[in-house]
Amino acid sequence: MPIALAPVGQDLKVLKITADEETKRHLEDIGITVNSVIQVISRSGRTSICLVKNSRLALDSNLSMKILVA
Amino acid sequence: MKRFALAGNPNCGKTTLFNCLTGSTAHVGNWPGVTVDKREGTYKKCAEPISIIDLPGIYSLSPYTPEEVISRNYILDEKPDCVINIVDATNLERNLYLTTQIMEMDVPMVIALNMMDMVEKQGDKIDEKELERRLGIPVVKISALKGTGLTELMEKAFETSSKERKGKTVLEGCEIYHLISDVRIALDGQNVANPLFHAIKLVENDEIEVQMHSTTIKMVDEFKQSFNNELFGTDFEALVADARYKYISKNYSPLMTKKEKGVKLSKSDKADKVLTNKWAGIPIFIVILFAIFHLTFSEDLFYLGSIFSLPTLEDLGVAENFGTALLACFYDGAIFSPGVILFNLMDLITSTVFGWITAGLESLGAAEWALSLIGDGILGGLGGVLSFVPQIIVLLLFLSILEDTGYMARVAFILDRIFRRFGVSGRAFIPMIMGFGCSIPAMVNTRTLADERERTLTLRTIPFFSCGAKLPILTAVAGAVAHILGAGDGSIISFLMYVVGMAVAIVSIILMRSTTQRGEVSPFIMELPAYHAPSFKGLMIHLWDKTKHYVKKVFTIILASTILVWFLSNFNWSWAMTGDINDSILASLGQFVQPLFTPLGFGSQLNAQGWVFVVAAVTGLIAKEEVIATFGTLAAIFATAAPEIAVEGATDVMTMVLGTGITWPALIAFIIFNMTTIPCFAAVAAAKGETPKGKFKWTLLFWVATSYIVSAISYTAITMFASWSLWSILATLGIIIVSVVAVLLIRNYNKKHPVKGVK
Repeated sequence: MPIALAPVGQDLKVLKITADEETKRHLEDIGITVNSVIQVISRSGRTSICLVKNSRLALDSNLSMKILVA
Repeated sequence: MKRFALAGNPNCGKTTLFNCLTGSTAHVGNWPGVTVDKREGTYKKCAEPISIIDLPGIYSLSPYTPEEVISRNYILDEKPDCVINIVDATNLERNLYLTTQIMEMDVPMVIALNMMDMVEKQGDKIDEKELERRLGIPVVKISALKGTGLTELMEKAFETSSKERKGKTVLEGCEIYHLISDVRIALDGQNVANPLFHAIKLVENDEIEVQMHSTTIKMVDEFKQSFNNELFGTDFEALVADARYKYISKNYSPLMTKKEKGVKLSKSDKADKVLTNKWAGIPIFIVILFAIFHLTFSEDLFYLGSIFSLPTLEDLGVAENFGTALLACFYDGAIFSPGVILFNLMDLITSTVFGWITAGLESLGAAEWALSLIGDGILGGLGGVLSFVPQIIVLLLFLSILEDTGYMARVAFILDRIFRRFGVSGRAFIPMIMGFGCSIPAMVNTRTLADERERTLTLRTIPFFSCGAKLPILTAVAGAVAHILGAGDGSIISFLMYVVGMAVAIVSIILMRSTTQRGEVSPFIMELPAYHAPSFKGLMIHLWDKTKHYVKKVFTIILASTILVWFLSNFNWSWAMTGDINDSILASLGQFVQPLFTPLGFGSQLNAQGWVFVVAAVTGLIAKEEVIATFGTLAAIFATAAPEIAVEGATDVMTMVLGTGITWPALIAFIIFNMTTIPCFAAVAAAKGETPKGKFKWTLLFWVATSYIVSAISYTAITMFASWSLWSILATLGIIIVSVVAVLLIRNYNKKHPVKGVK
């Protein structure tokens, strides 16, 4: 499921990133890679604040739909 | 001189360290992307002086935004003698990702393990000796904030800088390592510097590298045909990123022992639950913004004066003396806001001191022209501007607090939802709010935006976020308008003008996005730093820097142009002093362009002296404070002086009103024109530097057209509705809202009818 719909406060494993090449690379550089563990700490609407390797990352709603986790 | 470069993730403390090492006062803020250009300073406590270079923060050596390109190019092309890689110890894993990339270059490096004070406070430990051994790179524990470990760091860096280092990689166990080796050997054969680094970037299909080594990339492409990873396919860049993180979490992360296992919600997270809440986030931000303007401009703090109908000093029958004048700086029928109190005090000081100067000159029997030059020209002009300096400082103080606490990054996030509809990402908010301080750093900060069109849009709208130098225009002219309307002080009108500026920005973004700058809004990805209380020292350094800038400007460029305005308004074309202002050089120049401004309300409909407004607006191109300075200089030439108005700077404007017959809607149009037109020369130069080639002339044209059209519409609309005064304002707001809706509809139409070839 996309991050935008994932439960809050649980460890999630990234399965797939469907964003364009440039954005995907940037996401990988800041720590969101396939197989990495992330957690949604809070969400408003479909925008999310995620915990990624001990830092808080804010992601807009489009992007939250493009990162698939389980 | 040896050069050491500071490299590291955004917001990891590079600039704090830079300031500590070099004694500089570079701007530090609590959000990613404060530093957008490289900066040099000197460290003097080593065996020899060392040049320290502060670079913009980067997450990796594959740049995402233009300011990251600066860092990459510096490290690669300028070949510093040593790279000091600053690693935020509270987020070891993510920070070491960049370290593993810098390691691949043939450059001496040292790791500064920063924020150790925070780590120790949490009761966590890092085995830095073992980390040093495993990395094969010296590691020094420091705290840039507390200033600890800096001497050792610099000694270690100095020692390391004289030893050559060959690049090494953590990717040796990776399944595509033999491809990397082959490419490295090929590049080495072509005498490429840093072959290992370039080989890996080439395998990652990095855009810049592929252009640089177009023949070698074929090796990678051929290899791809016979390769397939079940998880990543041939996406080598994802494969490499994954391999790096795996290596880091296997070999380096265990060196950190945490007191408490698992993730606990911090105080910051709890605060964010409220401050970034879907429903509460935006209202809270609007309240904060209003509070800032209220505390800066209001002549009735918290509306206490109106609520309790407090008596004025006159009502109380207080005797008029200096003590009363001093008291009147704080209270007169209402308690003033801090901004107004400081303004009044400064005004009291300047007018008293200036009074002594003119009296002194008169008693010395100075010539009349000298009295006019010094009294009306210089003091009249500078006095108006100087009085505003404290108020500008108050506004800047509040903006600095927003930056230092870490709240700015949150606002960018909560506004992203709305901004996205208009056509920019929430990231654009940061340069925009910086624009309230000064347009120049704001324009430079647009480098942090990933998309070129978004940069252009944001840059063009920055002047509409009225800068500190425009504050005197707002307050003085709005004060005069309030006086004419008999509607209290001008603070509500000032606030409305700020809102109008923002509305113009929004409308023009939407218009450009649906016409000349069509395209997708770039994604919003931003790191939210932990909140922390702003440091007093940091705030003061920041304010001192800004204040210095304003005061310097007053005594240089504004002083010079004020003298020029005085000269041009007192001399005629045969270079003789003239008693009649309408014979002056300035008058004939002003009268020549005056008709152009008729649709805006300050053109031909005014009487013979009406050119003063046009002249003031044009002098605003030199510096926006000059508009009010010009008023101060020119007010002296009008026969009828207006009665003293309590509202700052408004008396000169009222003199103009009485002398020219300008209407209040035209005064509003005048404010709007100054707010939205071409900014000062310095900001224009900054804009030129940040604009891609060929687009700059359109930016200038955009400013001229916007200011002309918007002021003309405002003048016409307000004049039309002026008979109902209160309703007129509401109706005008209505017009703005209706136009916004209309434009939104156009955008929807555009969405359903996409233009081919535009992504």
